[in-house]
Amino acid sequence: MTKFKILLSLLTTFFVYSKYAVADDIEDRVKQLEAKIAQMENKGGGNAEESSGSTKIYGNEFNPSIGIILNGKYNNYSMKSTEPAVKGFAIGHEGERGREGLQLGESELNFSSNIDDKFYGSMTFAIVKESDTSDDKVEFEEGYIMTTPNFNFPDGMSLKAGKAFWTLGYMNEHHAHADDFANRPLPYRVYLNKGWNDTGAEISYTLPTDYYAEVGAGLFRGNDYPIKGPDGESPGAMSAYARIGGDIDQDQNWRLGVYFVDGDSPAGRKGNEDEIVFTGDTTLYVTDFKYSLAPTGNVRDQEWTLQAELFARSEDGTYNIDSGGENQFNGTSYGWYVQSVYKFNPRWRAGVRYSQMETPGVPTALIGTDLDGQGYDPTSVAVMADWTNSEFSRVRWQFNQDKLSSGSGSTDNQFTLQYIISIGAHGAHKF
Amino acid sequence: MFKNILVLIFAQFIFSSSLLANDKLNIFACEPEWKSLAQEIGGEKVKAISATHAKQDPHYIRARPSLIAKIRRADLIFCSGAGLEVGWLPILLQKSNKTVQPGKLGYFIASEYTPVLDIPEKIDRSHGHVHPEGNPHIHLDPNNILLVAKELNRRLSLIDPDNESYYQKQYNNFINRWEKAIPMWNKEIANIKGKKIIIHHKSFDYLFNWMELDEIASLEVKPGIPPTALHLKNILQNINSNPADIIVISPYDPTDGALWLAEKTQMPVVTLPYTIGGNEESKNLFALFDSSIKILQNALYDK
Repeated sequence: MTKFKILLSLLTTFFVYSKYAVADDIEDRVKQLEAKIAQMENKGGGNAEESSGSTKIYGNEFNPSIGIILNGKYNNYSMKSTEPAVKGFAIGHEGERGREGLQLGESELNFSSNIDDKFYGSMTFAIVKESDTSDDKVEFEEGYIMTTPNFNFPDGMSLKAGKAFWTLGYMNEHHAHADDFANRPLPYRVYLNKGWNDTGAEISYTLPTDYYAEVGAGLFRGNDYPIKGPDGESPGAMSAYARIGGDIDQDQNWRLGVYFVDGDSPAGRKGNEDEIVFTGDTTLYVTDFKYSLAPTGNVRDQEWTLQAELFARSEDGTYNIDSGGENQFNGTSYGWYVQSVYKFNPRWRAGVRYSQMETPGVPTALIGTDLDGQGYDPTSVAVMADWTNSEFSRVRWQFNQDKLSSGSGSTDNQFTLQYIISIGAHGAHKF
Repeated sequence: MFKNILVLIFAQFIFSSSLLANDKLNIFACEPEWKSLAQEIGGEKVKAISATHAKQDPHYIRARPSLIAKIRRADLIFCSGAGLEVGWLPILLQKSNKTVQPGKLGYFIASEYTPVLDIPEKIDRSHGHVHPEGNPHIHLDPNNILLVAKELNRRLSLIDPDNESYYQKQYNNFINRWEKAIPMWNKEIANIKGKKIIIHHKSFDYLFNWMELDEIASLEVKPGIPPTALHLKNILQNINSNPADIIVISPYDPTDGALWLAEKTQMPVVTLPYTIGGNEESKNLFALFDSSIKILQNALYDK
């Protein structure tokens, strides 16, 4: 009998104890559910009556983020006659200064989304009318997939493939609407035809270090300025880069990077309205530096940024001018810019930018041609002020003074008014 | 030559920084309140950093290099969510590890575990910077802290099971103290219920909801749109018929609008700490509420 009593009491204790533990668990669950109910009640809000009648369309949940950027401009130039040449350099179409008068500039349409857990994709079209006599042009600016950290790469590694503005310098990977000025500085106009967005793949790796450190490399088709024309199936261009950066204190931070892109141009890189063609090897080296100071620690209120990029372009090949003969060219030219922008309150900013190209010496055969800088270094100074109502709208006033050639009458005073707005989803910009 | 020097500097940087992971759990908190909570529960087994500090508006952070380096080594990402970090966290997430991606244990969004206020029925950019998920500043209701702490403990124990009993002990200790503090605070705020407040931005909704204070106007024209002269004048006119008791701003709000209105109406302007480090006293979550209550009491009752 006692054995049975002991067993019974043991069982009862066990039963009561487990019920207690379960009750505890249940209490927790109840609390969680209560919180969820409160949340749902908040969400349900005014729609409780409506939901019974409407049909839910599930397809829309998986729509991509859609964003539109509109970029209207008014340009006025003092040098009206022809497109001013950049002395000593051949520039491509996008490197030119843009039309005068009222215009819609480049409008951008972007779709981006996670594709599944391992990939992210994005597509950007630019729609632009280049002249009054041309049709609207739709340019496929970017169309790429990118691996997410869920992909089976080592931590910190990512692959991006397709067509994109690749990692080269500071501004190249940003779309022009995000720039601090209405036009791009001379080195971007001359060396990159405003931006380099070849087709290819780039792998990047962020190191697990205290300081920010990232390295990367890419292989590309080799069919975007400054590299021109694939030759067979092999990759026509390659790139590599390294970046470091960090905080100086709570209010200051910086980033420094070195990059290069190299490729052969067997099909010929055309410039100056297709009159000057370069065939041969091009290597472009870039160094960029960006510094930011926010006096209150809050970049939203007040911020001073300093940004500079230095380019060196080594060419080894031949230049063909006006369908004349082939002229050997083996030399290096330089271009750089530095800009300072000060945001003095959440809505107003002012900036100044100086850019300069340093013309290379030319072999005898090229003396007197458009590639002969004659010791003159083209320069451009820009000042701007912009008003930003919210992160979706901005209006800018800018004045440029371009001195792209020597001699009187070659100073171009340019005045620009610009608005930039974004509709729909717009992802944050990178640093 | 130039290139070689750069390579050398770069190499030195890399090798001089610590490449070895420390043996503590790395917690990347988006805001200081979560860093503090992570330290309460995680204790000496975790190394918590906050991506933002009290003087920064957490909406407008730039995904700068130092944050990339920090999130790269995170074992747990701990943020408010509800759209607060949507301007910068997604970019940082692309540089972080598998274990902290959305959907994984290491990706902890606090507002998913608490009730959320102000979920809008209609969304349009003309309403200003509105979060479709609701008001994200959830940490200022002490009951929400309980809910978040509970989930944090659960996650820490799953991510770092070796230290489960340690986390449980820390958690129990914290909950004990917190559950004693809440009734004390409830008593202290009994005499400020129903007072009318003018705010700059809706950052204190959860605090005022818990305290049953009445927000009658906002200095911002719309969320995210700074005050304009016209809007301030309108508020001034309305105050004559519907007076307010105080103006409340956070440490990162611009003060012009508040000071102008205070001058015209003789209303006190108070800066509530909003989060850890918002003022000298707010060194932890307990002190944050203590200090906030004290400041409000002083302003409303002129002590």
